[in-house]
Amino acid sequence: MHGKVLFVDPEKCTGCRNCEMVCSVFHSGVSNPTRSRIRILKWEEVGLYLPMVCQHCETPICTEVCPTKACHKDLENRRVVIDPKKCIGCKTCIMACPFGHPFFDPIDRVTCKCDYCDGNPQCVLFCNPKAVSYIDADLINVERKREAAKRIADFLRPGR
Amino acid sequence: MGSSKGVESKMTGSFNSSRIGRHLKPQHHWGWIIAIYLYLAGMGAGSFIIGTLIHWFTGSTKLMEIRPFTLQLDIAKATLLWGPVLVAIGAPFLILDLGIKRRFLYACLNPKTSWVARGFLILSSFILFGLISLILSLSPDLRTYIGTDGIRGLETVALILAFATALYTGILLKSVKHVALWNTYLLPLLFLISALSTGSMSLLMLILGMGRTLLQGIFSSSLIKFLMGVEQILIIIEGIVLVLYLYRVNQTNDQGAQGGLSVSLLLKGELKLLFWLGIVFSGFLFPFILESFFSRFPEYPALVWFAGISLLLGGLLLRYGILMAGVKNQIPMERWIEAQHLLGRLSLKEK
Repeated sequence: MHGKVLFVDPEKCTGCRNCEMVCSVFHSGVSNPTRSRIRILKWEEVGLYLPMVCQHCETPICTEVCPTKACHKDLENRRVVIDPKKCIGCKTCIMACPFGHPFFDPIDRVTCKCDYCDGNPQCVLFCNPKAVSYIDADLINVERKREAAKRIADFLRPGR
Repeated sequence: MGSSKGVESKMTGSFNSSRIGRHLKPQHHWGWIIAIYLYLAGMGAGSFIIGTLIHWFTGSTKLMEIRPFTLQLDIAKATLLWGPVLVAIGAPFLILDLGIKRRFLYACLNPKTSWVARGFLILSSFILFGLISLILSLSPDLRTYIGTDGIRGLETVALILAFATALYTGILLKSVKHVALWNTYLLPLLFLISALSTGSMSLLMLILGMGRTLLQGIFSSSLIKFLMGVEQILIIIEGIVLVLYLYRVNQTNDQGAQGGLSVSLLLKGELKLLFWLGIVFSGFLFPFILESFFSRFPEYPALVWFAGISLLLGGLLLRYGILMAGVKNQIPMERWIEAQHLLGRLSLKEK
């Protein structure tokens, strides 16, 4: 699982929020989307949905603003993790993350974030339209280029 | 065509508030508790700054005997240096806002990069040094024992920490880089001036309140007039900085920065009543008018009380309003989706 990340294709997302359900069940044992580590942003009027996941930034601002070092970079696995035993629930990381990712768990009273389910992300397993995939970070650009090329090909196809 | 235009405007409306649903809504992670924390920290620090300067330049003193302990307390000096008490009252509000309150001591573990941790240390140091100054100011015997130089040194350290505390309240918000409304150096400046303004007003009210009972005739009416003058000047400077701040933030609309939207939210959105009535009227106009009346009719001290309550309320609402209107900047993906769909709509329109 070294170097793998979650890749989101918003065009495939149907907004079913199944990922939120399975994530909360996996992490907290209950089906409660407010405890999920993935959230769907919705543009209802245009039918667009964007699953928001942690980007595991190279220089994360959430680790910079965290007063307790609970939010830190796991250098071995190259990902940002939150230690729930050190988190005080000050919500500074939530305010600081530009991707709006860490979420406040209203039951545990600490901030939680995506940890890739120990290398087997449940959201990927249960996403029927395959809007979320777990791929090598190096392949993300290849995936994006493939999508762009497909779109251009569709556009150029005669009689579309 | 008409319906297409309708869809277009409806869509743009929802895009502006993409992150939080249909309408642009105030952020809800930091609310009243953090506003009170920032407010009391600022007001206490401002009060200590103004009080220490008056204390240094006037040297007012009023000894009161506490019986049966034969203890003499200097309540005039203590009145001037009461700011740290306010900060000490405000600091627990940060703890109150934490998810797990019993872990509050962990909040100082990362002062290297985190402003919350730095603030914890700055406030704790200010409370410590400020309260020592306050206790020393109460007892003439202790002051003699420590010596003038020692006292002055301690008060200077506390004064520097008071400035740091007042500035910190703004820097904490600035350190959250991706909120355009907070990411400007004008915010710590605005909070510093507001701290001085609310601090001096709280001091004035305390002096007037104590003047009726314990401190009769200790603080001269010229000092009260001087404080009132300082207060009026601070209100004007704070007003100018607030306008400059909002103007500057309103200009930052590039790279997905939501400064303009935050200002709109404050000036004409959901927070407009809070801004115009709570911040502009209660925090600036009303106290300024009442203070002007008081300088003409000093025989009505009730004017100062009304002005003071109004100004202190305005100071709290200023912090609350700025906290609430902090809308995060858009991420590139959101901007890309918006642009893509706006272009899609445009091409549909052309057809």
